[in-house]
Amino acid sequence: MKRQECIAMLLAGGQGSRLGGLTRNRAKPAVSFCGKYRIIDFTLSNCTNSNINTVGVLIQYKPFLLNSYIGLGSAWDLDNPFGGVHILPPFLGETEGSWYNGTANAVYQNYEFIDYYDPEYVIILSGDHVYKMDYTLMLKFHKEKKSEITLATIQVPWEETSRFGILSVDADARITKFSEKPAQADSNLASMGVYIFNGSTLKEALIADKGDYLSQNDFGKNIIPHQLNQGKRVYAYKFHGYWRDVGTIESYYLANMESLRDGHFLNIFDPKFRIFSNEDIFPPHFVGETAEIENSLICNGCTVHGKVSNSILAPGVYVGEGVEIRDSIVLPYVKVHEGSIVHRAIVGENAEIMSQCIIGAQGQGAPAQEGITVIEDYHLIPEGTVIEAGMNVCRSRAI
Amino acid sequence: MSNAIGIIFANSGSDNLQGLALERPIAAVPFGGRYRILDFALSSMVNSGIRTIGLVTPHQYRPLLDHLGAGKDWFLERKDGGLFILPGVMHGLAGNNHMFCIKDLKNNLEYLQKDFVENVVISSGDQIFNINFRDSLEFHKDKHADVTLIYKALNDSDDDSNSKIFLDLDEDLKVSNIQERNGLEKEGLNYPFFVNILLIRRELLLDIIEKYSSFGCIDLMNIIAANLGVLKIFASPTSSLIRPIRTIKDYFDRSMDLLDFKVREQLWLGVDRTHTKIVDNPPTKYTSQAKVSNSLIASGCSIAGEVINSIVFRGVILEQGCRIQNSIIMPKCRIHANAQTNYTILDKSVKVQGENVLKGSENQPLVILKKTVI
Repeated sequence: MKRQECIAMLLAGGQGSRLGGLTRNRAKPAVSFCGKYRIIDFTLSNCTNSNINTVGVLIQYKPFLLNSYIGLGSAWDLDNPFGGVHILPPFLGETEGSWYNGTANAVYQNYEFIDYYDPEYVIILSGDHVYKMDYTLMLKFHKEKKSEITLATIQVPWEETSRFGILSVDADARITKFSEKPAQADSNLASMGVYIFNGSTLKEALIADKGDYLSQNDFGKNIIPHQLNQGKRVYAYKFHGYWRDVGTIESYYLANMESLRDGHFLNIFDPKFRIFSNEDIFPPHFVGETAEIENSLICNGCTVHGKVSNSILAPGVYVGEGVEIRDSIVLPYVKVHEGSIVHRAIVGENAEIMSQCIIGAQGQGAPAQEGITVIEDYHLIPEGTVIEAGMNVCRSRAI
Repeated sequence: MSNAIGIIFANSGSDNLQGLALERPIAAVPFGGRYRILDFALSSMVNSGIRTIGLVTPHQYRPLLDHLGAGKDWFLERKDGGLFILPGVMHGLAGNNHMFCIKDLKNNLEYLQKDFVENVVISSGDQIFNINFRDSLEFHKDKHADVTLIYKALNDSDDDSNSKIFLDLDEDLKVSNIQERNGLEKEGLNYPFFVNILLIRRELLLDIIEKYSSFGCIDLMNIIAANLGVLKIFASPTSSLIRPIRTIKDYFDRSMDLLDFKVREQLWLGVDRTHTKIVDNPPTKYTSQAKVSNSLIASGCSIAGEVINSIVFRGVILEQGCRIQNSIIMPKCRIHANAQTNYTILDKSVKVQGENVLKGSENQPLVILKKTVI
């Protein structure tokens, strides 16, 4: 009973260098999001909620924390005797083997894994997107259209089209044109980086791509345009809902902050489509007599004695007396001591801000990265330090 | 690997919990924002390296099993050992006043027979504590003891309204006398009392069950006391915080104790965590109208009202303008706009509609039964 109808290949090996200090010690999918989650929770929970119980997770960059977080996948009910989560690192064979060189190459190198389950369909996912999606609906669409490749798409604002892979479709939703980050777009339908391939189509495409020495071995840049040119039946499935690429400091910050809004699309409180996570067990959070909390998300294990407004406190955060945290994202186990001010900042995991510091102080001139200050994981900010807005504060070397 | 298996008596009920224990044993009463009272005994055993634990269940065991599942959240879903459900004896109307009833064990003899370990750790399931039993197991082994009773010296902070079993010890910590008395009668502090947790040799326990099972419901502690001269009975000290929950006053006071940092530090902030069922709730949302002070708040809540000196469990919704004071609000309750509670305990899924005022007193907190709509 090995054969699966649809398996998922989850691309989680990218470095995510645009997240600065947040990804210096861990792969991007393992970065904390919205307090108690990590970015990969969304994709893994989507798989569970879509009855996809075989997931290959392709890893490469600083995988330890990501691997230990995923474990056997039991936190997402993915510990399944007929499949489950498989961590797929780059490996050596008798004569061949190398680092993953592009997204398509990563999947190509693991074709043995896909063959083992011999699936009719393969869904390619990305470990750095925040969204809730039922893949079964997309698969149904794929079957109905007798499609060979289906791309999940979402409408983006016209002014942002130059950031995405943009698709033009005909009346039947068949893709007629694909342009990666076009200067002048003739459509605002963007690819979400979620693809369903027929098993056989994927195999052919990957082998052809491997033989092409000019290819960058990337799904978006090479495989999709090439297959389109070959006249393959490539369709666009329209997704309606919330979807965010959190690849940059600005987009990561914005997506977190959006979750503070009422009636938010992501609706993490929806019991019918739950987002699972592998949380550490903590007691409830304690709110002291001097605390003031306003429009914020607070997780288990926090202790709050200061002021917190428009912010997210991840599990195990300590906020001392007289502290002011505004418009900030404070990641797990951070300690902020007496009298410090944290404004518009992302404070990395296990960082410690000693007393009377100012993080995100108004500097001279316009600050970088929209004035968002980032403090690296495990960083210790000594007493009385003032850090100007828009800085990336890193330790001298990564652990 | 620990050389012990565990048994937790999770079947003690109480008529003094004003309805909190109406349809559940004390062990299954929610406590401390996200736990059930049983979690404390269970987690202590798990943290001590015990991976085979038998749970003596009462007649109404649905809430217990709902909470425990296959024991995965306590790492007890295992090939070797794991969580065993030991159905307890059905008691008549008279109820069960025994702590460790031999008949409960007799009915589950196989659990004890099929294991190979040396010792059994037995605990009641109605106390709040976080104790690592490794030291006591070591002590038990060093003394070649038949039975080791875990004890604590009575001190100021111990609530002495409950009757306790007091121990007389010699210098070698051998027990020379066991007597049950009301704590108030005991003159002076530092008197050692039994904390309802003991270690016993498995073979000896099997012998005792065989010999005494014809007596029906007889308490293991009575048998141990009666055989004081024959058995090697020692006592091992603990300095940990340990609090029984028997009455509604106990429940309310012990809950409010959690607002004291020292209590939370001993119970929750050490190396050994208290494990519980994981529900994967989202973080708690505070709106801009929320005003919270000196309170414990679990995850998955939505808070738009005022909360003072209170404990709020998972998934509670507090609407704008409501005022929660000195209260305990259990999971999935909803307090509508402008309602007020003071010295009130709301059991699970209670709805308090707008403008209602619920008021108990410090010594007699008002208890609202599960799923009541007010």
